Amino acid sequence: MILKPFLLICVLIPLAQSLLAQDGAQLYGLYCSACHGEDGKGATGGAFPPLAGSDWIEGNPERSIAIVLKGLNGPVEVSGKTYNLEMPPQGEVLGDDQISAILNYVNTSWGNSGGKVSAAMVQAARVKFAKRTEHWSAPELLKLFPLEKKETALKNLISRVYKGQWSELPDFSKLSAENVEEEHDGILDVKDSGMKDNFGMVWEGEFVAPEDGKYTFALDADDGARLLVHGRVICEVKGIGAMDGKRASRAKPKLSKGTHPIRIEYFTGKGTQALSLKWVLSGKKNWQWLSKPDTAQVRWPSIPLAPNDGRTAIYRNFIEGTTPRAIGFGFPGGLNLAYSADHLAPELLWAGKFIDAGRHWTNRGQGNQPPSAEKVITLTRERYLPAEASFKSYALDAMGNPTFNIGIGDQLFSDSWKPGTIGTLIRTLSLSGGEPVKIPLGNAEVTGAEEVTVVPGKPTTVTYRLK
Amino acid sequence: MRIFLFLALLTTSSFSQQQSDFYIREEIPLPPGEVMEIGSIALMPEEKVAVTTRRGDLWICSGAYGDDLSKVTWKKFAYGLHEPLGMHYQDGSFLLTQRPEYSRISDRDGDGAADFFETISSGWGINGNYHEYAFGTPPDKNGDVWVVLCLTGSSKASSDSPWRGWAVRITPDGKMIPTCSGIRSPGGIGFNPEGDVFYTDNQGPWNGSSSLKWLKPGSFQGAPVGNRFHALANLPAPPEPTNKSRILTERLKFPEFIPPAVVFPHAKVGQSPTAIEADLSGGKFGPFSGQLYIGEQTHSQVQRVFLEKVNGLYQGAVFHFLDGFRSGIIPAKLDQAKGILFAGGSNRGWASRGGKAFTFERVKWSGRTPFEMLTMSANPDGFTITFTEPVDAASAANPASYTMKAWTYIHQSSYGSPEVDASVPTVKSATVSPDRKSVRLVIDGLVRGHVHHLQAPGVKSASGQVLWHPEAFYTLNEIPSK
Repeated sequence: MILKPFLLICVLIPLAQSLLAQDGAQLYGLYCSACHGEDGKGATGGAFPPLAGSDWIEGNPERSIAIVLKGLNGPVEVSGKTYNLEMPPQGEVLGDDQISAILNYVNTSWGNSGGKVSAAMVQAARVKFAKRTEHWSAPELLKLFPLEKKETALKNLISRVYKGQWSELPDFSKLSAENVEEEHDGILDVKDSGMKDNFGMVWEGEFVAPEDGKYTFALDADDGARLLVHGRVICEVKGIGAMDGKRASRAKPKLSKGTHPIRIEYFTGKGTQALSLKWVLSGKKNWQWLSKPDTAQVRWPSIPLAPNDGRTAIYRNFIEGTTPRAIGFGFPGGLNLAYSADHLAPELLWAGKFIDAGRHWTNRGQGNQPPSAEKVITLTRERYLPAEASFKSYALDAMGNPTFNIGIGDQLFSDSWKPGTIGTLIRTLSLSGGEPVKIPLGNAEVTGAEEVTVVPGKPTTVTYRLK
Repeated sequence: MRIFLFLALLTTSSFSQQQSDFYIREEIPLPPGEVMEIGSIALMPEEKVAVTTRRGDLWICSGAYGDDLSKVTWKKFAYGLHEPLGMHYQDGSFLLTQRPEYSRISDRDGDGAADFFETISSGWGINGNYHEYAFGTPPDKNGDVWVVLCLTGSSKASSDSPWRGWAVRITPDGKMIPTCSGIRSPGGIGFNPEGDVFYTDNQGPWNGSSSLKWLKPGSFQGAPVGNRFHALANLPAPPEPTNKSRILTERLKFPEFIPPAVVFPHAKVGQSPTAIEADLSGGKFGPFSGQLYIGEQTHSQVQRVFLEKVNGLYQGAVFHFLDGFRSGIIPAKLDQAKGILFAGGSNRGWASRGGKAFTFERVKWSGRTPFEMLTMSANPDGFTITFTEPVDAASAANPASYTMKAWTYIHQSSYGSPEVDASVPTVKSATVSPDRKSVRLVIDGLVRGHVHHLQAPGVKSASGQVLWHPEAFYTLNEIPSK
């Protein structure tokens, strides 16, 4: 009695599988789930882009077909979060029927409602993009296949534009507006001002809360902004600065289902103008935009490096303004150095914070990271030692301060750095033998000299002084 | 109901084999608060193990061999390194393959922290592109270290970054010898028991599927992207294979084109092969001595490879082996004397089934032998399969216990390839050896150059077990003539 149903199941499963030409769920598990997750939420707790509830899935499935065929590289925003990875193209690996099976599985799983994909549609996309050899970028795709236009939660939105030059948000009630408009799209867009620099905007309208609950609002701006609900300020981005997340502001008000009066104030000085405001219901993952989506910026989590316990910090990676074989040193006392092991020379000097490792220590780590300072002094940009000179080694003293050792023929040229009194670095140069060597110092302002000559057996000291 | 449950339990325990019966995988605790995205592992005297991280630290672990892993301690030996992906401990120093250079780092004042960082060679280019990984071996029998240099980006070789797409050797005195061309995107490099050098290359342009490749000196590995750099060292120009061809066709045109020794069919075996570690333990890590273990980043696994040489080329089979690691496996190191496999890795930038951001683990053999295919070797008319345990003669001699499919890939500049030119070789007969430890399969329809996928779900051991992993993928570069 027990055996019978068991046997029946054994027979049925293979039958059912053979009836389907391609099993989308199985193919998804094999080819896609390592990154996007079995549950579609993105692997490693969402470190990779989710497909479940993704705004990229909804509507026109041509967008998904194009991505699967040709891959996607670089920053992409999915449901309010930016990812910067590379999806390898699958078009050469998977057949039309396999891709359609996978996409139909994704489009109908986890509450998704993407359009139906036929093998013929995949074939047509193959022909359409046959010449393309590169991965897509997200902006390219969005131009070809814009995301579904969604109504925002803002109703009866009115914008006012004000001219003026401020260093913080003005009292708009004392100013008269240059222009008043109704914004039927319910989107906060600073470009609606028609102005470039030195202006302010105020939007007023109603926020439609879909249910009772706790709402999170996230506001950021270049330059300043504030968010008021029921006339009360709940978020504020103060002062002047870039929209880089450093001044971003969040609030978590409880709202009942229904409409709530909302007001957003904004101002910008010279340069970039940008405003981002999004919200999410507590317990949900999908951020909803009230402004234009903020896709321009890729923000790495910040991992600032600094001297630790009096020891000099070291960053061996790609530093902007010098060569690929750069070694950065963040000295106690607040001066920093980037040495080029390609050019056998110290090339960059800066005061203040050392460097942010976030770019290279998260995601895949593309590109050069600039020093964490507005003002970086370039000492030299070229090799200056004789052609036979080559980088041999660097040594660290007990406090982590470096000595670079260069071979010049049979001779050893040593170049040591350590912090001196506050605001200074002491450089000691020595040569074991051979001809004297002239060392250009590159920036007379910080050393008081254009160059020094290092004579064998006589160590030479140079002090670098930064304000 | 109770009887049914009991029966079900009995059935599972006597017929299905589990990894934990044979191999004990344990996570080694990491220093709290540290991001330990492990890129290389080196074994040291006194049961210490060194690891480097992708962020550029070198840590030394004590207690990783112990019974009580809660007693593990860590000490940071060095920081400020540039993504080391190869490490060897020698004469009190660490030899490191870092992204920009091959170097030796030492603790000259004996305070337990590195203070001297020597550049042995920096003869290759880097330009800031994240893809320019450099994986290095321990010194070979001549003392040379082999470094494989990933292309710039997925499929480029910029003139400001010479020798991308090549394998180079570094002599102990720092001379760099460009040795093999045709590389795309390596995930690891290592030796087989004979000391020949292999690397893993990942599916992408000019790699229809990922594979294990033999770095025969002077060889071309299939991807012509970095070919132009030969002119920098007056080397002969590497082959320019025809796009959308087959590896077999192209390598018959160009004798220096060495085909992949073992292809890892995409998704079926893995998606990102990495470390290569030979089992020289003489049985301390189970029955697979002489074979290779291959790390797998995406699937968080370790695969097993059997190699043989036919007509001067390496070829062989890949078998599924260890599963369930907690992050993407990048390096692996087997302590040959003690039979402990250390594996570590990360899933930063490339996801892995093991959902942790990074991991460091060890695997020990339980002493129990799984019922597995041990080797799969080619004959003129089929394959011989050896087993770890005597087989049940009735099931193993039944040709219906086996099925086979064969296919190959398009050799092309676009990303990856479908399985093409598929065929279904038929198992005509299966002859069990007198000791019942091997079966000779006579097969109609072997295809030179194809991957041959053998499934043997019907084969049972003398004690009635089915195979722990009932499939193998053999890359038949050459069909032996006798």
